[in-house]
Amino acid sequence: MVELKNVNVHYSSGVDALQDINLRINDGEFVFIVGESGAGKSTLMKLLLREVAPTSGRVFVNGYNLSKLKGNKIAKFRRSIGVVFQDFRLIQELNVYENIAFVLRIADQPMKFIKQRVPYVLNLVELAHKARSRPKELSGGEQQRVAIARALANDPGLIIADEPTGNIDPKLSYEIVELLKEINRCGTTVVMVTHEHDLVKHFGGRIINLDGGSITFDENIGGQNEDE
Amino acid sequence: MRTSNVTYLVKKGVSSVWKNFVMSFASFSILMVSLLLVGCTVLLMLNVNIIMGNIEDTNEIAIYLEEDVQQSQIDHIRNVLESNSDLMDIQYVSKEEGLKNFSENMGDQAELLEYLDRNPIPETFLARAADLTKIRHVVNLISEIDGVEKVQAPYDFAGILVNIRNTFSVIAIAVLAALIVVSIVIVSNSIRTSVFARRNEINIMKYVGATNGFIKAPFFVEGMFIGILAGAASWGLTWVIYDAVYSMFGNDITLWQMFGFFDLIPFDSIKWTVLGISCAAGALLGAAGTVISTGKHLKV
Repeated sequence: MVELKNVNVHYSSGVDALQDINLRINDGEFVFIVGESGAGKSTLMKLLLREVAPTSGRVFVNGYNLSKLKGNKIAKFRRSIGVVFQDFRLIQELNVYENIAFVLRIADQPMKFIKQRVPYVLNLVELAHKARSRPKELSGGEQQRVAIARALANDPGLIIADEPTGNIDPKLSYEIVELLKEINRCGTTVVMVTHEHDLVKHFGGRIINLDGGSITFDENIGGQNEDE
Repeated sequence: MRTSNVTYLVKKGVSSVWKNFVMSFASFSILMVSLLLVGCTVLLMLNVNIIMGNIEDTNEIAIYLEEDVQQSQIDHIRNVLESNSDLMDIQYVSKEEGLKNFSENMGDQAELLEYLDRNPIPETFLARAADLTKIRHVVNLISEIDGVEKVQAPYDFAGILVNIRNTFSVIAIAVLAALIVVSIVIVSNSIRTSVFARRNEINIMKYVGATNGFIKAPFFVEGMFIGILAGAASWGLTWVIYDAVYSMFGNDITLWQMFGFFDLIPFDSIKWTVLGISCAAGALLGAAGTVISTGKHLKV
């Protein structure tokens, strides 16, 4: 569960990135967060990843009170969520298998479990045959699927996807969101930031619109694919 | 932490040494030279102490007793001298023995002594100071004993030796401190380069929940590995250089023995200790360099 209560983020540069945000995302939801550049989407993501702390208000994610989270607990918190970035952020020196095994090592999982879990998540994203490939040998869509597999590795209750379709072919974007929807259908909460309105219209669901650091719209809409 | 993770982090650190080869090699070379100089300085210090000890052992304090000293006083003085832990090799020389020794030293002119109507040589105690720095204090104490006429001691000789030893110690400590600082700075620069080369990876690690320890561990391994390699290499070079110098003094042993160059430490007897200390010192310097660079440049 994600909950923000009266959250404000004020940067030292004088910018009010988020203003009086009140938001609750229940377990199992799929939420699109949309908005123009500078609307506060990135700050909201940074807040949910505890990259920035709120200037005021309270932020709860997966049972952690991020407003009071101490430095040494941040790593543990981040292991409880899965993150997908626009630029994939795969370690270029490691192959696909090792990129995913890496997060399981960080979580101090036993070797036996890692050997079972990595092929399993690679199967979920249909990339088992690319396990030994290096990220640069993969297409953008494939790299993003590896990033999703990595986010799934620790079986998190929440996946935060920051513009996951921003760097890939528009046609493949639908596949990526479909994959995230599939993960969501299995019970994982997904929060996806995007500025691609076509995608949002196509899939529908709960849409939160940010503008000037405030929530201006938060409703469920029907998707086009539901009409098909 | 699991064994598999420890193995993983060690492998990661060691492989980083090869990936970052140029800087690693530079650190290795400078660290090796530093450790070599540190090792040679320490060994030199140890041997200088032995040489100084040998020279110190040749000091002699002569305690001349009063003309009319009684046997009971001589026994008392002997007891006082023997109970003083700063004195060693205490030896009593009677008037007769003293005259005999004096006569032997005079050689051909010893006949002159036959014209003396009495033995002018006083009863004497000979002793050596265990610690030259205390010689003046010991002499003052002895002078106050009833029955002691005069005490002769090699003050100037003691002063020179103490000064040489102190000066050498100060120079050695200054050299050691400078080399340690230089080594730490060099290693920390190498690790900083490594941190910079892996900044994207570190960033990703932070986002997926790696702890500070997990991120820093490979850098520690890298620094310590370079340090251990440099320690081992410096040990080999120290061995070669030390043996060459050692054999030089061994070739003309009588000449050097005059200057106290005997009982020097053969490298063979300390080689494993030196290896252990060199590698441990290398690892420590490597770790210290890593602490500085990860603390400064790895904001995790």
